[in-house]
Amino acid sequence: MKFIAREDIPRWLERLAQAAAVWTPRRAPDGGETVLFLPWEQGSEPELDRFTDLSAKHLLLPASEKLFPFQYRLGGEGEQIEIGAAPATPESVVLFGARACDARATVVLDALFMQSPEKGYLAPYYRRRRQALAVITLACTRADAACFCSSWEEGTASREGSDVMLFPHEDGYLAEAVTGRGEELIGGEPFSERDAGPPDTAVTDQVPLAGLQEKFTAVFSRLDFWEEVTARCISCGYCTYACPTCHCFNIFDEMRDDRCGERCRSWDACMFYLYTLETSGHNPRPTIAHRYRNRIGHKFSYYPENQGTFLCTGCGRCIRGCPVSLDIRDVLRKVGDAR
Amino acid sequence: MDELVKAITAALEDCELVLGWARDPATGAGRPERFTSAGQAQEAIFDATCVHNLAVHLPRLKQRRVGIVVKGCDARSVVELVVEREVERERVQVIGVGCDGVLDLKRIWRRHGYGVAIEDDGETLLVDGSEVERQPLLQHKCRHCLDADPSIYDVVVGGRTAEGPEPRGERQELAERFREMTPSQRRDFWRRQFARCIRCYACREACPMCFCRDVCIMQTQVPHWAGGEVNPKEAEMIQLIRVGHLAGRCTGCGECERACPVEIPLMLLMEEQNRALEEMLDYRAGTDIEARPPLLTFDPDRDLWGDE
Repeated sequence: MKFIAREDIPRWLERLAQAAAVWTPRRAPDGGETVLFLPWEQGSEPELDRFTDLSAKHLLLPASEKLFPFQYRLGGEGEQIEIGAAPATPESVVLFGARACDARATVVLDALFMQSPEKGYLAPYYRRRRQALAVITLACTRADAACFCSSWEEGTASREGSDVMLFPHEDGYLAEAVTGRGEELIGGEPFSERDAGPPDTAVTDQVPLAGLQEKFTAVFSRLDFWEEVTARCISCGYCTYACPTCHCFNIFDEMRDDRCGERCRSWDACMFYLYTLETSGHNPRPTIAHRYRNRIGHKFSYYPENQGTFLCTGCGRCIRGCPVSLDIRDVLRKVGDAR
Repeated sequence: MDELVKAITAALEDCELVLGWARDPATGAGRPERFTSAGQAQEAIFDATCVHNLAVHLPRLKQRRVGIVVKGCDARSVVELVVEREVERERVQVIGVGCDGVLDLKRIWRRHGYGVAIEDDGETLLVDGSEVERQPLLQHKCRHCLDADPSIYDVVVGGRTAEGPEPRGERQELAERFREMTPSQRRDFWRRQFARCIRCYACREACPMCFCRDVCIMQTQVPHWAGGEVNPKEAEMIQLIRVGHLAGRCTGCGECERACPVEIPLMLLMEEQNRALEEMLDYRAGTDIEARPPLLTFDPDRDLWGDE
């Protein structure tokens, strides 16, 4: 197998950065202990031993993006709207140091955003970013108390969504190309050959997922159940924004003056009251219980039904950073046990 | 902790539910729990992992008779909520607990892994079986705490084992560094901080005093105070709105900063404002249940909302 020494990682990153915008886990500048996927810079140290606080989904779905500029003009036929081109995005992006749960999230999102034009939705912004993206995944040899990716068969060793897999080995990493693009990424320097098979990866907590769709439907109308399991929730958007698969957004116009502006898109979260507030004043999801029920339903019932895969990869971020220690696994187990 | 269980059980004779903490099976740390029965109250705990300010739940429960377990800092939130007439004192049973400071769990978890074994007796802290210096791993607010003992309570449980914490620490250093900055340096500092903001509003939702909740002006279209984009400029506007709205109301519980997923030092803004207002108005929010908060008093001869 291919092998790269730990000390050669900066050299490799430098090489990758010649042809692509490279993102690695890094300490945020002046950001305490926070580790995020940030652009690689000359001399920056990737944090490969810590799990990032937020996911890498912004590489496919930025927290905020300008879709196109527009301008109102008075012409011969009255007022016309002139629509400008979408801002350019990088042609080649490498996500370095993702974990299996991050990599798999791209495949989960593809199920919705990369449908064939005949079948479903056209998502040109996503498609452009997705086609530019290559993922170099670091297999986990340790799991923490929030990880639950082993709820899916391949767990920490899943290659789904990865172009290259790195397995920690002695003083470096064994590298395995998963795709053709991956072959290119690990071709040449500074890789050598080493005689070893992929080492064992970690096994995490496992949440029983079988039959969850039906069980969710059975417990759907029991609002008392949802009130009980969400009693501690304060309805912030952290879990949805930290989630590598949550993808809801809001589209709005930001006016720069009274004639021109930009159509923008930002993340939105089903945990917010405003998310479903209708113009009439009616809100179909008026309480936290309604909103959290939707979060669970979308991830573990509607999305699998419509797209054939759970909208979750078990990364555990929603658990680690939740300000009120709400653990989605508890809720899923309670849904599973409810009668 | 028998005393705490007894206090909660007693409160349940009078209350529908008691807000307290139980142990999270995944981490061993405290997590917020609503106790509704004596049997369930057996699970109640209080230790340095019970970081949450449970007063955030009171405004949503205002129609009900509830009990609440509070640390000294949390008690100040209850006081301020009563002062602002968001909560009726008579409807709330306050169970005070003596506190030696609560841990910065996120910092510990980031360093040692989420759910790492934590043992703490108020003086000695063991993380993953090894002793570590306790003071630097407390929440920032605890390192200069003035209110370790609850100011209001119906019953108080346990006492502090240690003296109050030494009022020094990296936050003070940061505050001093901040005060020495020129306005443009300050702007750069905050732009760098706000570059991480994802607008999850955890700061707002975790704040007991941000009880406008679902009708927050940060998200209204008319007037359009803040745009919809996620960028440092909007984040700055949002925090300025928050800071302004909490002027003379922030009790310094630190929940905004604790809830922030990307460690934006929000309390630096709050503490600077609190310090300035205290100098100006000789008022600390949440310290006096009979107080008339200067910035909420339109006519000093009339009652708070002028409804007498």
